Amino acid sequence: MKILVTAKRVEDPESKIKVKADGSGIVQEGLKYKMNPFDEIAVEEGLRLTAKHGGEVVVVSIGPKDVQEQLRHALAMGAARAVWVNHPGPLDPMGAAGLLQKVVEKEKPDLCILGKQSIDDDQGQTGQYLAEWLGWSQGTFASKLDSLESEAEKAKAPAIELSADGKTLQVVREVDSGLATLACSLPAVVTTDLRLNQPRYASLPGIMKAKNKPIEELTPAGLGVDVGLQVEVLRMSPPPPRKAGVKVGDVQELFQKLKNEAKVL
Amino acid sequence: MVDKQSTSFMRSLCMGDIEEDVLLPFPEMPAKDAETLRQVVASLAQLLGPKEKDFRAWDVAGELPAPFLEELKQFGLFGLVVPEEFGGFGFGSTAYSRALQEVSRYDGSVAATIGAHQSIGMRGLLLFGTPEQKRRWLPKLATGEMVAAFCLTEPGAGSDAAAVKTSAVRDGDSYVLNGNKLWITNGGLASFFTVFAKTGKPEERGKLTAFIVTRDMPGVSTGPHEDKMGLRASSTAAVFLDNVRVGVDHLLGEEGKGFKVGMRILNNGRTGLGGGCIGGMKRMVELATRQAKGRVQFGQPISDFGLIKQKVGHMVVETYAAESVVDLVAGLIDQGYEDYAVEAAISKVFATEALWRTTDEALQVAGGNGYMREFPYERALRDCRIFRIWEGTNDILRLFIALTAMNDVGAQLADLASSLKGVLADPIKGFGVLSDYARRRASLATNVGRGKGAFTRLHPALRDSAEVFEDATRDLATAADRTLRKHGKRIVEFQFATRRLADIMIDLFVLAAVLSRVDSAVKRLGVEKSVREREILDVFAGQVSRPVKSNFGKIDDNDDELIKHLADDAFEQERFDWDNL
Ligand SMILES: Cc1cc2nc3c(=O)[nH]c(=O)nc-3n(C[C@H](O)[C@H](O)[C@H](O)COP(=O)(O)OP(=O)(O)OC[C@H]3O[C@@H](n4cnc5c(N)ncnc54)[C@H](O)[C@@H]3O)c2cc1C
Repeated sequence: MKILVTAKRVEDPESKIKVKADGSGIVQEGLKYKMNPFDEIAVEEGLRLTAKHGGEVVVVSIGPKDVQEQLRHALAMGAARAVWVNHPGPLDPMGAAGLLQKVVEKEKPDLCILGKQSIDDDQGQTGQYLAEWLGWSQGTFASKLDSLESEAEKAKAPAIELSADGKTLQVVREVDSGLATLACSLPAVVTTDLRLNQPRYASLPGIMKAKNKPIEELTPAGLGVDVGLQVEVLRMSPPPPRKAGVKVGDVQELFQKLKNEAKVL
Repeated sequence: MVDKQSTSFMRSLCMGDIEEDVLLPFPEMPAKDAETLRQVVASLAQLLGPKEKDFRAWDVAGELPAPFLEELKQFGLFGLVVPEEFGGFGFGSTAYSRALQEVSRYDGSVAATIGAHQSIGMRGLLLFGTPEQKRRWLPKLATGEMVAAFCLTEPGAGSDAAAVKTSAVRDGDSYVLNGNKLWITNGGLASFFTVFAKTGKPEERGKLTAFIVTRDMPGVSTGPHEDKMGLRASSTAAVFLDNVRVGVDHLLGEEGKGFKVGMRILNNGRTGLGGGCIGGMKRMVELATRQAKGRVQFGQPISDFGLIKQKVGHMVVETYAAESVVDLVAGLIDQGYEDYAVEAAISKVFATEALWRTTDEALQVAGGNGYMREFPYERALRDCRIFRIWEGTNDILRLFIALTAMNDVGAQLADLASSLKGVLADPIKGFGVLSDYARRRASLATNVGRGKGAFTRLHPALRDSAEVFEDATRDLATAADRTLRKHGKRIVEFQFATRRLADIMIDLFVLAAVLSRVDSAVKRLGVEKSVREREILDVFAGQVSRPVKSNFGKIDDNDDELIKHLADDAFEQERFDWDNL
């Protein structure tokens, strides 16, 4: 099975994010970056599926040269090779899906796994556009039936199950009322939720091996995609500072306050 | 260009010369290593970050569990410094030090375990091993299948390593080893031991030889884990050698050169411990700042108070200074300098003491919480106390620093003494030495005609601090000369004086490292954007100039004799003599 996974470069949520004074964006100086955590889960699931069923994981990232760092990380985790779409400018979900569609047409994977959203803009649309434009089935917000403490997780078993004939995937997704189980015919697009797996860390042997794995460079022009923005960011502003809370002595007092002061009960 | 084989920044400094070529520019990690390390740092956060509670439990239990050790091995942490051809990752001193820094941010016992394995346990094999020895053991050491330990200390031989009693008696083409080694880090885990034993006659001092001993050899056994103050989850145990037969192919370096082998190992491995100290300090800055912002007293977060800011500000300066000196030494080693023993010893003394002060201050910021087991401060304080004792106590290292750095001064004085006699016998040759010496003293006194008495390549924005350094250099050279002329060879008996010189040297070398690093920062970022780093330099230079001045003053005017009387009295009485009852 050939699996294409994404690895977006995002601001590390642990670093202190400040909005520029003129609201045109965030201050990038001194920021740390990492792979979007949902994408890490996607890479992990891809690796587990190929470990069980054979095949290879190809990782793709769109952005400036720096995204090679995230590609190397995915390679160090175990992906076989990487595709870098060199695009330094801004990008919205439609642009990203358009580029990914072309990469998919070139690579012809059986399955694409993306994060359900990236934690920088939290738009959560790319996977759905991609599936729609490819005309593939989609299983979004894939989750795990068992807990992350379970034996299956400890054994690093994939949570996404492939049918015996190799033609359909079983995807469990979290919905408001509980869990829904979908059967998706291949080829398919799957997007990952947080509780799909616990991604592995890259060990030193993996990091060293990754140095010799190929990264292929593509460009939007070369792929024939116009990444003109459908959504434009006009202004950014930081959230208002949180007001200090109050400490309550016991549950009784909490009820009183919720009822009488906050009037939410 | 300077000669990398024979130039030591500090030995030159004692002669009044500032070797800028050694110091500038501040060494940078190669981009390739930096990228690897960024990934290692991120992965270590995943591996060790979630284990804070476990580390606390393992500290109480006094052991790292086997499955966790296995995880560390799988990660590759036991093969950092092993060359790639032997299955390791080929880290140089800089990269290795940086990796240990990261591990130490999470847990001291883990850092001690992989540190003792690589900084000292297998270092003899790396530095002195034959190709055959390396092929035989390095691949297993790289994966952690074999863990390494360094076995020098004995019940009767601590600081005085030459007093080792473990004996190695030649018998055909093998040696038979007998003796007990004490407090060996990784003793309980190791199967590869670098053992120092005496190959001379029992009544001879010294004559040590280094051997590779493996656990499968008959007669090798180890004691239980010691119950310790800190680093409790790391293994410290006695190693017993009972008629252990070791082939000549297990010799590390030459027979009789064991003392040198041991010192080379310790010097070369020092930046590992240095890196560990820096990791600990960075963690303390993180913990103390968060703690202070969250703690409200008198209606304000305590981070608003001047005395808290003073502590945190100094923690930042000390961390920066320690990192500068450790990275400078690691850079020198990676650039192929060979005479760095004094500089490495300085980095060990400064980093271990800066870590102690920083951890102590962080605990103070945390107040009573700092004393509670539930918080990480008390464990950090316990863990780091040993750093000032092992790998050479800081006291012994101070003596070593001062006496070794003044070697050239001593040599010139010795030349002088013999040439004073020689002037009569061989006026031409004798006069050369004499006039060299006279010229140097005159130029030190007048500050005229000194070739390397001042910086020429530092950024002008650093002028003030550079001057502090240059003035002190001149004082140091004068003081070294005066001290040696006063005490001559008997200097070894004057430890008070030696210590003062050592403290001056430590302060100056660390200041040199900070100057170098800030110089690179100013040149890279510009004067304006390097304002914080320039502030650190200003604070540190100010901090150093006062004790340096006072130590110079005390060379001639001190209370050494009074202190000795008091100590001698106390030894005599074995108690404190006064009571108001
Ligand atoms: C947790 C732990 C792990 C260790 N790991 C190892 C290891 O892996 N391998 C190994 O070989 N050893 C190891 N050691 C031993 C350690 O290196 C020694 O403890 C250290 O060298 C000091 O020796 P000592 O304890 O015998 O102290 P001593 O030498 O007895 O010193 C006691 C005090 O006297 C001072 N002193 C001694 N001589 C002089 C002098 N000439 N002038 C002035 N002051 C002097 C010292 O500075 C010190 O303050 C370890 C020790 C501990 C506690």
